[in-house]
Amino acid sequence: MSGGGPSRMRNRKPHSEVSRDVSPEIDEDEHNDDVQNPNNRSHVEKVLETDQANAGMIALLTTLAFALRFYKINHPDQVVFDEVHFGKFASYYILRQYYFDVHPPLAKLLFGLAGWFVGYDGSFGFENIGDSYTEAHVPYVGMRALPAILGSLTVPIVYAIMKECGFSTIVATFSAIIVLFDNAHIAQDRLILLDATLIFFMTLTMYCYIRFKKLRYRDFSFDWWMWLLSCGTFMAFTWASKVNGVLTVVAIGIAVIIDLWDILDIKKGHSLDYFWRHFIARAIAFIVLPIFLYLTIFWVHLSILTNSGPGDTFMSPAFQETLKGNELLLNSQEIRYYDTITIRHKDTRVFLHSHPDRYPLKYDDGRISSQGQQVTGYGHEDTNNYWQVIPTKALPETGRGRVVANEDVIQLLHVNTQTLLLTHDVASPLMPTNEEFTTWPKGDLSRYNDTLFQLRLVDGFEGEPWKSKSGHFRLIHVPTKVAMWTHPKQLPDWAYKQQEINGNKNINDKTAVWFVDAIVDDETGEEVTERTRDVPAKEPKSLNFFKKFFELQILMLQHNAGLTASHPYASGPINWPFLISGISFWTQSDGQKQIYFIGNLIGWWSCVIGISLYTGIMLADLVARRRDIEPLTEPVRHRLLNSTGFFLLFWAVHYFPFFLMSRQLFIHHYLPSHVASALVAGSVLSFALSESVNYPVSVWGPRLRSPKPKTYADLGVRGPVIVGMFALAMFILFVYIAPLTYGTPGLDGHSVNARRLLSSWTLHFAAKPTDGL
Amino acid sequence: MSGSVRARRPPSPPGKLAPSGPRFPHPRHDHLDADQRREAASKGLRPGRKAHVTGGLNLAPAEWRLLVVILFVACAVRLFRISQPNSVVFDEVHFGKFASRYIKSSYFVDVHPPLAKLLITLAGWISGYDGNFDFKDIAKVYENVPYVSMRMVPALMGIATVPLAYLTLRALDCRVTTALLASLFLTFENGMVTQSRHILLDSPLIFFTALTTFAWTAFCNEDHYEPFTESWWIWLSMTGLSLGAVVSCKWVGLFTIATVGLGTLKQLWLLLGDLRVTPQLWIRHFVARAICLIVIPVIFYMSMFSIHFLILSNSGDGDGFMSSEFQHTLRGRGMADTFADVAVGSEITIRHVNTQGGYLHSHPHSYPGGSKQQQITLYPHRDSNNDWRIVNATSEGDPYTAWMDQDISYITHGTRVKLRHIQTDKSLHSHDIRPPVSDVDFQNEVSGYGIPGYAGDANDDWIVEIYKGDKRDKESSKRLRTLRTHFRLKHPMTGCYLFSHKVKLPDWAYEQQEVTCNKQAVLENSLWYVETSFHPKFPADAPKVNYKLPGFFAKFWELQKVMWTTNAGLTDRHTYDSRPDAWPRLRRGINFWVKDHRQIYLLGNPLVWWLSTASVLAYAAVRGFLILRAKRGYRDFDSTKVVKYDTLCGFLFVGWAMHYLPFYLMSRQLFLHHYLPALYFAILLSCSVFDLVTSTLRPRIRLQIAAVLLVIAIWNFSYFSPLAYGLPWTKAKCQKARWLKTWDFSCNDFLDDVS
Repeated sequence: MSGGGPSRMRNRKPHSEVSRDVSPEIDEDEHNDDVQNPNNRSHVEKVLETDQANAGMIALLTTLAFALRFYKINHPDQVVFDEVHFGKFASYYILRQYYFDVHPPLAKLLFGLAGWFVGYDGSFGFENIGDSYTEAHVPYVGMRALPAILGSLTVPIVYAIMKECGFSTIVATFSAIIVLFDNAHIAQDRLILLDATLIFFMTLTMYCYIRFKKLRYRDFSFDWWMWLLSCGTFMAFTWASKVNGVLTVVAIGIAVIIDLWDILDIKKGHSLDYFWRHFIARAIAFIVLPIFLYLTIFWVHLSILTNSGPGDTFMSPAFQETLKGNELLLNSQEIRYYDTITIRHKDTRVFLHSHPDRYPLKYDDGRISSQGQQVTGYGHEDTNNYWQVIPTKALPETGRGRVVANEDVIQLLHVNTQTLLLTHDVASPLMPTNEEFTTWPKGDLSRYNDTLFQLRLVDGFEGEPWKSKSGHFRLIHVPTKVAMWTHPKQLPDWAYKQQEINGNKNINDKTAVWFVDAIVDDETGEEVTERTRDVPAKEPKSLNFFKKFFELQILMLQHNAGLTASHPYASGPINWPFLISGISFWTQSDGQKQIYFIGNLIGWWSCVIGISLYTGIMLADLVARRRDIEPLTEPVRHRLLNSTGFFLLFWAVHYFPFFLMSRQLFIHHYLPSHVASALVAGSVLSFALSESVNYPVSVWGPRLRSPKPKTYADLGVRGPVIVGMFALAMFILFVYIAPLTYGTPGLDGHSVNARRLLSSWTLHFAAKPTDGL
Repeated sequence: MSGSVRARRPPSPPGKLAPSGPRFPHPRHDHLDADQRREAASKGLRPGRKAHVTGGLNLAPAEWRLLVVILFVACAVRLFRISQPNSVVFDEVHFGKFASRYIKSSYFVDVHPPLAKLLITLAGWISGYDGNFDFKDIAKVYENVPYVSMRMVPALMGIATVPLAYLTLRALDCRVTTALLASLFLTFENGMVTQSRHILLDSPLIFFTALTTFAWTAFCNEDHYEPFTESWWIWLSMTGLSLGAVVSCKWVGLFTIATVGLGTLKQLWLLLGDLRVTPQLWIRHFVARAICLIVIPVIFYMSMFSIHFLILSNSGDGDGFMSSEFQHTLRGRGMADTFADVAVGSEITIRHVNTQGGYLHSHPHSYPGGSKQQQITLYPHRDSNNDWRIVNATSEGDPYTAWMDQDISYITHGTRVKLRHIQTDKSLHSHDIRPPVSDVDFQNEVSGYGIPGYAGDANDDWIVEIYKGDKRDKESSKRLRTLRTHFRLKHPMTGCYLFSHKVKLPDWAYEQQEVTCNKQAVLENSLWYVETSFHPKFPADAPKVNYKLPGFFAKFWELQKVMWTTNAGLTDRHTYDSRPDAWPRLRRGINFWVKDHRQIYLLGNPLVWWLSTASVLAYAAVRGFLILRAKRGYRDFDSTKVVKYDTLCGFLFVGWAMHYLPFYLMSRQLFLHHYLPALYFAILLSCSVFDLVTSTLRPRIRLQIAAVLLVIAIWNFSYFSPLAYGLPWTKAKCQKARWLKTWDFSCNDFLDDVS
């Protein structure tokens, strides 16, 4: 461990006399002539860099942030946009009912906690956008306060990130203002939505990582460990807040890999042993710790949700049976031979059905059928859905031997027509590649082999009894090895538009899973429910936490990818940075009020300009250096490459992956990237205003043998003037768009038209050119 | 200030800023030190002598003889019984059909560019194919089709790939044994053989990929020696031409362009760092490459399409994909000139702008549900049921007849109109009833309503909103003009817009396209235009208009977009499709053809295939290890041998990666044969690895190892050859040949006994 007390370091922070690079060429004299004297800076700069000015700025920004985010937070007193979902989830936590969602639970748990704290009883349904909270006495303000607080705190954190990176107060303020006066952030922060939590934890992760990185010359010190571990913690929280949080993990991962790669460099003079120590420290903080925290959060989630709820049907039977009051748990029964049952497809929820009509001899495309009895999928209860399980082996008179077991070969008898289910190598009506399903008279043994099906329970063990409800199974045809399968395509009129059932050659197809919906009848005719009469009420079963966790994770990923339905306000990622279109969150015809999610044009476009300028500067520098010209001084280059590069990495990692996603995308997915781009814009402003930077910023440590010349940023008077004008412009535009952000006051048609700054914004209540006609 | 900083800057660390020159300086004799001169001399690069590796073509006479032998073997392997089977195999269904279309010059749309199809057509046409065979189903027996000569096109290109592989490796400075091994591996690769024996596009694609690789290698050799010589220009433009050819065969050719593009970027980057190269010279390098590698391919690609358009001059089954302007250029699709103006009382036909659904249409059938009123649909063909009379809704008296007595008045923005279906005397009507298919809140049903003589109600009224006119026809933005004005129709009672989208109505409406009234209509889908207009009161010499014929560029661009959307739409599962991760493992093949107890199944040569995958992985692992070692200060890259093999293998590895990894991003249907171009690079890579591994051995031993590998490869080939050629096989042998459970050729189709 390295020496030097943390207290000393902290005292020195604002202008720490430190350096970052090992350069044996430079002498070790602390009072190097080349050190720029901090007192030579302009007066304004000196005032702004004092601790008082710093604290004052933080206080001002935080106060403003709270004021803007809490202003009329009780309006609208109705369910807005995705509050439909996230409010509902909070209710489920309070009622402890199991639900399923694609996002990890941390942010929702916090909402649940906030709801519980303000005394919400979980009885409100959050059914539709526009449902009134006041009528139902929901303490929604308390729940909305949570994201508002986190969103407000994001502003000072943004400021602090810039300060820690060595930018001057005024530049840090600039970045914070882009977030502070942003209509999109405010609209998102004031409602029960997950993004505020996500962004809060993301900025905290960045902050901690920077603090950690600045301590690299005092590695393995207490402070170093503390910042490292808190970075890992907040990274885990980001990840556990929303699916997109995993991008923060990726961004930190890339930064860590670059960092480690640097340490590995032989020119740094570190031993391999030293490298491994660093590697292990990061592995602990960024792999072991986050996974542990992530698991813990899920463990809390699953231990709270112990009752049966709307999420049951997503889960596997084994999972469902761990929930109190679950239907499977209560009604699942073993199936015995000669029971009459109804069989249902797991995904499309149709019953296996047959009726006396036959397949037409010739289909429209000229193919020929077997003209056998139709077997279809039918969505409603009907006696034609009844099938009897016929054994293919000798059964004992009584006892367990009469229970149908996994991997048994069975026949299914259609009760109404007394025919046996059969499939054969004839193309099905709709899919030439799949086999046709039909039935065959019970007495005719000529096709006996074709009526044999093997029962394969999903994840079943040998001899496992087949149960109704919980026993998901595949039905494999014995001679031709196809699985009974159905798909949502309808058959033509001759089959009454029912669903086609055919034999799928891919017997492991995920959608070839069926379950027994009910046992309708017993061979003896006694009531089936009698079987369980003397059995005491079942206790919920327990299941290994990890099994539950992995099942839930896989389902979340699948459902996330499956969200492809189109939405009127979904937009493509390319439009986001330019604010081409927003989202209508909420409208109220009474008073022409609406909440339209859209950002502050000035802020967003400044960010775009910042990013393009940065890319241009770095490319020009790259080419120039290739030609042996060095246009940038070393401190400036270091700053642009390391600090701004880190911000750009966050921007890119939180943005570009969306281009690869085919799921429904909304502009609020860009908000984390927007915060990162505000940081980039700040650094570019600093570069544009002054050639100087506060450098170096890392904390001095024993690893550093030779300090480098120090430089200090000096923006002069032009800094505060430009940023002041920018802040004013931002504020004016913010206030102008504010009625769309806060949903109040209402606007008449012409004011709405005036606020449609880009023609692609689809605002409601706009005055239309044809209105006068 | 910056000056003082620069002066104090520590000298850059050795490797990182390595004197900004290329790692491998030009082997110009005047820059060589003693060791390098010796090295150069061993390659025949004696100082002052101009003989250098000119693109790998200066082979010894003995090598030329060897090449002839290889070519002979390749011919024997690929042309063996090429006339069998005498029926349609796999995608010959499509590509044969397209050849017929070309010969009949009837328009079609395909997702692939035309070059390979044109070559196949040419072969068929020369052999006298009349285009009358329909290529309907796999295994349909050919009648009057010169299918052998059509199959010869891919087959000959497949054969030509073999010597190209040889020459490429020789140009990359590999040994004769290595080049021989590569060419024979390629010859006996079952997958390549199967693919090249049928009317398919992949064989031309692989040939042109190989040609590009060869030309590019040759160009690189020239560039190392001396730029801007005559042969430098020749090889560079050869590269450009063959790039154009690759991408004109299949869009997958873009990956080849990317490979060459990466190579070019690397060259330019090295040149940029070479401070002896002046900016002017650098720009010359840049422009030369831009012309040859961008302009030439683009021109080549576009000229292929101009040939395509020239040949396909008649209307055909591809019409429906194209816009009305485009269709108008096809023979049999023309339209007589029509009145330019639309006035109250005009008889008009209305077309939907954004979809190719066709004309606003009605027919005497009712909706089975909803209002049970008459159906309104979009119908793609001309028909008298597409005719509507547009009348002014606000005129006094019966609006449907009042116009006859009034003066001609035009339809302007905001005119409130009624549309009367002339054949059935019903008005275009909408009301608050959900449409039959798009059963959502914001859509209303549109129907035909009314009886003759009844003036109708306000739900028959529509407001014309002119969206935009044509720039060259000023009037068309002010009033409704035929063909030139795009407009929307707003239903004033409910505020919705007349709307249509690519949704088909069920059988009861003959699967025509749905028309609704949409309150949240997407602008593009609610735009309409008038195609024909007739008014009894217009004089015969009133101004008339017709479609503006699109020029070549407009047609070219439109077809590109159609190809793109069609391609992206190919997402249905196919029984034999596979995902990219399965390809290097050779997890599964494709069933091409089954008939008469014989079978053709696309399956690679397991030895060649797995060896190539192993060498790709080995190179990646070794290279990664070397990078780590370099970071820790080991000076591996100072060894010329490491550098030589790293450059060689690196080039082939990049080729493999660029032809393989992008498939992971594609969600369309993918097949094993999409891996074949990447496989070509992987095979060359495996042979370079062989070259490296045996570099310290005596030539005799090296030859012996190569011979053993070849014998195994040929044994493998013959073992699976019944699947490649469709030869008789027995069930037992087939079962034995199923090395992986996932190889799903169906052994049940074979007989128990061949005799």
